[in-house]
Amino acid sequence: MNDTQLILTMFAAVGLGTPLIFATVGEIITERAGILNLGVQGMMLIGAVTGFWGTFQTGNLVFGVVIAMVCGAALSAVHAFTSITLRVNQIVSGLALALFGSGLASFLGRAGSEPLVGHPSRAQFEPIFTGGIADIPIVGPLLFGHDPLVYLSWLVAGAASYYLFRTRMGLSLRAVGEDPASAEAAGVHVSKVRYVHVLIGGALAGLGGAYFSLALTPTWQDDPIGAAGWIAIALVILASWRPWRAVFAAYLFGAAERVQFTLQTLGEPWSDIPSTLLAMLPFILAIIAMIVLTSGKRARLLGAPSALGVPYFREQR
Amino acid sequence: MTRHVVVEPRGLASVKLRILVPVLSVLAALVVGGLFLAITGENPLDVYRKMADVAFGSANGVSNTLISATPLILTGVAAALAFKMLVWNIGGEGQLIMGAVFASGIAIWLGPAAPSWIAIPAVIVAGGVGGAVWASVAAIPRVYLKTNEIITTLMLNFIALSFMNFLVFGSSSPWRDSAVSTFPTGQPIPTNARLPTFFQRLDISIFIAFGLAIAAWWLVGKTRWGFAVQVVGDSPETAKYAGISVPNKILVVFLLSGAAAGFAGALYVAGPIGALEPRSLDLGLGFTGIIVAALAGLHLLAVIPIAILMGALNNSGPALQSIGVPTSTITMLQGAILIFAVGGEFFIRHRIRLPRKESTPQEIPDGVEVA
Repeated sequence: MNDTQLILTMFAAVGLGTPLIFATVGEIITERAGILNLGVQGMMLIGAVTGFWGTFQTGNLVFGVVIAMVCGAALSAVHAFTSITLRVNQIVSGLALALFGSGLASFLGRAGSEPLVGHPSRAQFEPIFTGGIADIPIVGPLLFGHDPLVYLSWLVAGAASYYLFRTRMGLSLRAVGEDPASAEAAGVHVSKVRYVHVLIGGALAGLGGAYFSLALTPTWQDDPIGAAGWIAIALVILASWRPWRAVFAAYLFGAAERVQFTLQTLGEPWSDIPSTLLAMLPFILAIIAMIVLTSGKRARLLGAPSALGVPYFREQR
Repeated sequence: MTRHVVVEPRGLASVKLRILVPVLSVLAALVVGGLFLAITGENPLDVYRKMADVAFGSANGVSNTLISATPLILTGVAAALAFKMLVWNIGGEGQLIMGAVFASGIAIWLGPAAPSWIAIPAVIVAGGVGGAVWASVAAIPRVYLKTNEIITTLMLNFIALSFMNFLVFGSSSPWRDSAVSTFPTGQPIPTNARLPTFFQRLDISIFIAFGLAIAAWWLVGKTRWGFAVQVVGDSPETAKYAGISVPNKILVVFLLSGAAAGFAGALYVAGPIGALEPRSLDLGLGFTGIIVAALAGLHLLAVIPIAILMGALNNSGPALQSIGVPTSTITMLQGAILIFAVGGEFFIRHRIRLPRKESTPQEIPDGVEVA
């Protein structure tokens, strides 16, 4: 592999990793509050279609992104209600969200007399810096060649990290995820904290979805995000519930996805490796990481919230 | 302090309630789906009438509905069996695919010369083995290393899908039809390994699926082993004190769950499809099985009618396109049904009272259950 290919791969990995950062950080925040939301795929797809629609109607990218975040959060509110208020099974509820969201997204893209499907976006995110610093060899494109949402993803990861580990509210949030009864005794409103952070997670997943339809592949198609929502759930574990690590985990997966294309350009014998086998790579990586990192008691040491997935019954303290 | 609504854990919900909740879930989902249909300018009643007509309006329709329902009965059994034990096997999708890979593999390997009385049982057993083997990749770490099975089973779905695509699209394996060079398709399995049809396209796989669901119900509900399994599902601690080997039970149930999904794959390739055909197998049948199980309240016999209902929905989907309604309406409806069904679980587990006088809520300790 020559230098140009390496840089191209790394550059593409940043692009492919960006939606994963948003969704993974969102899911980390949700899980830190003790709620497991397996509906990331659904929330991302809803974000993708509504974000596309918003920009399609107005030509305004910021408007599209805001709509995507609002709709992602709205869908996550359904999960918040079933898992926090009704206290039913979070796993099944999350899967329901994933199904409903992907069905609805595809439906909204195709329904009506003038369906969105097949239309290119009216606007798309472009790199901020052109020329100048972006032309510096190697560092230029990798650090300065990206669109605004890439920088936003770094900001979101940094802010989430600061919020979780350096603020009072972050401490309350983690307490709710570790031991809700003690948190409640210390004056934290467990349900409220959980609701807020499930919604934040939904908004970030929506934003991640919108990155696909407004930056990566700015044309509406039925299933624009692949398996990104499911990968994000695996990345939370790979990142051991820490936002900064999510950035690196997401880029690693972005690179694994991109390698398929890179190998094709390298010629024989690399191009002979079937892309169908390479497509397994991220998922095999996730399973190995899962088994090595989280088996037995190690999960606790890593930072897995103790009360993750366990409904909280206030009356039964 | 006054509380106007008292929510109490309920012991055993009545049969009436257990039937009412899923029925209302379906109706509520139809209302939500109807709202979205209405927003996009469709008449929901026309759409639903069309769906019912396609699914049940003719002998051919009923036959196709039952064909669609067959794999769902088994993926439903797979999910219900596992979820009863608090084993979160959401890998029915991948186990179904690997069942189909094993089943079609053995059919092709045996070749056209093998008599049907050998080929057909071999295909079905191979499907079960394929599903169980694939489940074991998640089950063994779960039992011996306490690795969370939700993520591993989920990831295994995508690996199985890529593997099937590799066999048919990405290689010149025996699963790929060597006669077709333009666009890769699955190698048709020999007719001696195909399940005989008895009415139009409907083959005997529907009866095999019924039989397997009843067998699963009998195994869990009527045998000593099944009783031990139920104890583990209710409370692993109690089971441990009673001298039941919890890891062993979890492992066996996990593998049986995988086998059930694998059977679904085997019956599908030996029945209506007749080849390892990725485009016909990647339909979310494993995920739909989770809906079936949840709506059936994890009851292994209730799975059958619910699977027929979901089969009807799947069957009516493609016909919607002819009236200009997206096929994804079906996924949306199924997702909504599952949301309401899981929400309805609350009413099965809790009693809500509106007391006239002021009363303090009773502190009723409850074996807090996740399921």
